[in-house]
Amino acid sequence: MKSIRTFLLIALLSTITLVNFIAALHGYRASMEEAQKLFDRQIMATAGLLAALPVPQTGDRVVEENDLQAFQVWSDGGQLLLRSGNAPETQIGQRSEGFSELNFSGFRWRVYSQRGAAGHWIQVAERVDLRYRLADEVILQSVLPILLGLPAAGLLIWLVIGRGLSSLRNLAEELRNKRAEDLSPLTLAAPPEELQPLVHSTNALLNRLRASFERERRFSADAAHELRTPISAIQVHAENLAKELQLRDGGEPPESLAQLQRSVARMTHLVEQMLNLFRTTPEHYPARFEPIDLHRLAREMIAELYPAFAQKNQEVELEGTAAQIQGDQFALVILLQNLLANASKYTQDGGRVVVTAIPEGEQVLLRVEDNGPGISDAERERVFERFYRVGGDRHASATSGCGLGLSIVQHIAELHRAQVRLGTSSFGSAQTPGLSVEIVFPKTINTVNDTAEDIPANETTL
Amino acid sequence: MKLPSENPVRIFVALTALLLPMVVNAARPVLELEIRDHLFYPSVLKIPANTKVKLIVYNRDPTPEEFESYELNREKVIMGGQKAIVFIGPLAPGEYPFFGEFNPKTAQGKVVAE
Amino acid sequence: MLLTSVILVLREVLEAALLLSILLAMSRFLALQTRWIYIALTAGVLGSVVYGQYLGTVSELFEGMGQEIVNAALQFTIYGLLLLIGVLLILNRSGEARYLQLLQWAMVLAVALAALREGAEIYIYLIAFREQAELLQGALLGALIGGGIGFSIGALFYYLLLGLPRRRRLICALVLLSLVAAGLCLQATQLLEQADWLPAQQPLWDTSGLLSENSVMGQLLYALLGYEATPTPNVIAAYLIGLVLMVTLLISVWLKTRMPGVAVDVYV
Repeated sequence: MKSIRTFLLIALLSTITLVNFIAALHGYRASMEEAQKLFDRQIMATAGLLAALPVPQTGDRVVEENDLQAFQVWSDGGQLLLRSGNAPETQIGQRSEGFSELNFSGFRWRVYSQRGAAGHWIQVAERVDLRYRLADEVILQSVLPILLGLPAAGLLIWLVIGRGLSSLRNLAEELRNKRAEDLSPLTLAAPPEELQPLVHSTNALLNRLRASFERERRFSADAAHELRTPISAIQVHAENLAKELQLRDGGEPPESLAQLQRSVARMTHLVEQMLNLFRTTPEHYPARFEPIDLHRLAREMIAELYPAFAQKNQEVELEGTAAQIQGDQFALVILLQNLLANASKYTQDGGRVVVTAIPEGEQVLLRVEDNGPGISDAERERVFERFYRVGGDRHASATSGCGLGLSIVQHIAELHRAQVRLGTSSFGSAQTPGLSVEIVFPKTINTVNDTAEDIPANETTL
Repeated sequence: MKLPSENPVRIFVALTALLLPMVVNAARPVLELEIRDHLFYPSVLKIPANTKVKLIVYNRDPTPEEFESYELNREKVIMGGQKAIVFIGPLAPGEYPFFGEFNPKTAQGKVVAE
Repeated sequence: MLLTSVILVLREVLEAALLLSILLAMSRFLALQTRWIYIALTAGVLGSVVYGQYLGTVSELFEGMGQEIVNAALQFTIYGLLLLIGVLLILNRSGEARYLQLLQWAMVLAVALAALREGAEIYIYLIAFREQAELLQGALLGALIGGGIGFSIGALFYYLLLGLPRRRRLICALVLLSLVAAGLCLQATQLLEQADWLPAQQPLWDTSGLLSENSVMGQLLYALLGYEATPTPNVIAAYLIGLVLMVTLLISVWLKTRMPGVAVDVYV
């Protein structure tokens, strides 16, 4: 079915047309029959009048008549006694009483024959074509409105159906405008009875979805939070153990203890990242937007993370100029930490990292480039997924990581209505094309409250 | 697939061709009918029963007319000023009304087979 | 004049409208484009005017039997096209998308020819009123009513077919198509009888008392099943031959294509 509206219009209009036209046809037939009976009575009346007149004795008297009727009066012996001007001189009807139809004088006539009291024959004829035309003219006037009313009926039906389907249209509109992660119930004002089951079941589905998402989020967040304390404890105990061993045995602590300490550090990082991820979820993050110079913030973060770069002999540069945006300080710090840590982590020793923060018209561009191995086109789609790591666990750089960094970056970008683009570095080589992460921030965000409500889900260009 | 039944048109033509010799062009009674002012003249046609007759209908009007009869199963448009041939019968004795479909109230007549 | 117009126009419109709605519904079943109907109807209307204009000349062909012969040929051609359409529909019954171009053009041609034949008579009828202006209103009104009833029945019939359960719609459509096609054979045979190409016969029965061909119901059955109140043996034979031929062919194609891997090339 193409459109309910077209279907209803055509089906309803066809039904109305069919019923009305057949009714009109029956009306026409019945009226026509009545009209013909009326005409017949008129002929009989004329014949009766002629029969009541004294029988003329002189032959062939001609009387003028109107076009509709003709008559003849014949003597019993077959002599034409009286006729109208439009009647021929030959006998127009049979010599038997009643109606018959026949042609004369170039027309078809309905003839009524009646025997007079004196044995003479009276024959009155009426033109068939005129009888029907007169009746037609009268009856047509009653049929005409039915036809003329049809276009009006069509227009009305079209409008009424449009009105009747408006709630369906509204529902479709609301569903269309809904973002993928927006699980709030549909707010259709007073849905009609027919749509209520649909609205109810859709809302129930949305509620269940939202509840299960919420449960999942809470569980992960709570789990991460709960893990923090025991991990800190393990960290402290491990350090204490190292000290105690050193005091007792002297010399280097055993290798397994060092490994334990590295694992604990990784776990601490993972838990921190998980907490960051859930904290920065756009729907839940209580952002406080204030004017922030991204260029200055980038410089501070580079300074803070400089030991990591220095350790791998990596070169770090900052380019661009002061770039003011409306942003959330805490979130942007996490964003820069993640980008810089990733760049350092996945770029080989002696590599190069360039950070750029620069205003571009109404936007501000933040770019972090390196000349590491980069990310292939095929994988760019997936790196934003939680716990996804390029190349799986057998990562080329054999670097530890938890695969949450870019998910956090994306959350924070969404929070600022910024777009994230991945590309290859401008200074990469054939073996190490490098990675370029570009985030385009709008300079201002209209309202603080509707956090990222209106960004369609897929707007983030990958 | 080459079923012989695949070409209905050809079969019908063949069938028609088979039946054609049966149509003997024997001398048939020829009757004439005229249409004037949307009327048939004569309005009563007497034909012999159980005999096929050739009816030539002249349309003397400038307007077209359709010779039509449900009883005779005949239907033929005759343009203004033209004539048309309609074969009728063989008919059992009886009356067979015909009319001009474009002017059915006035253009009326009947074939009487006897 | 009104009643005359209604009956005349209704009879002509109904035949074309029913054929159109069956074919249109089948196009929808096969998810074909339905734009072809505009081509078909335009061609049909233009064709009616041309055919109507030259009917006088056509009538003089074949020793004055041109009208009957050309009309019978048209009916047989449409029958052939319906046969082709039926076969192609079966070949496409599970969305094979085979010979779709051919199928669409067969539909265009069938509807255009049907509309042409029926439309020519309406055209000739209506142009007669150029000289009888006082009757024109009634005639046009009648034509509108007749056309309205005809197209309404066609539209409702179309939606009825669309509403059929998925499994049975093709069978229903093919049965209807076969009946319409058999009706065409019947009409063509009647025309050949009238032209004296087939021997004339006495009608076998007369059901005009039960259901007049002149009534709306009679016209509907005439268009759908080829209802004839006083059929001759020839006419009945033609109807049955047309029906059996089509049904046999359709069933054999159906069974052949059911076997997997059997290539079928069909020429109709």
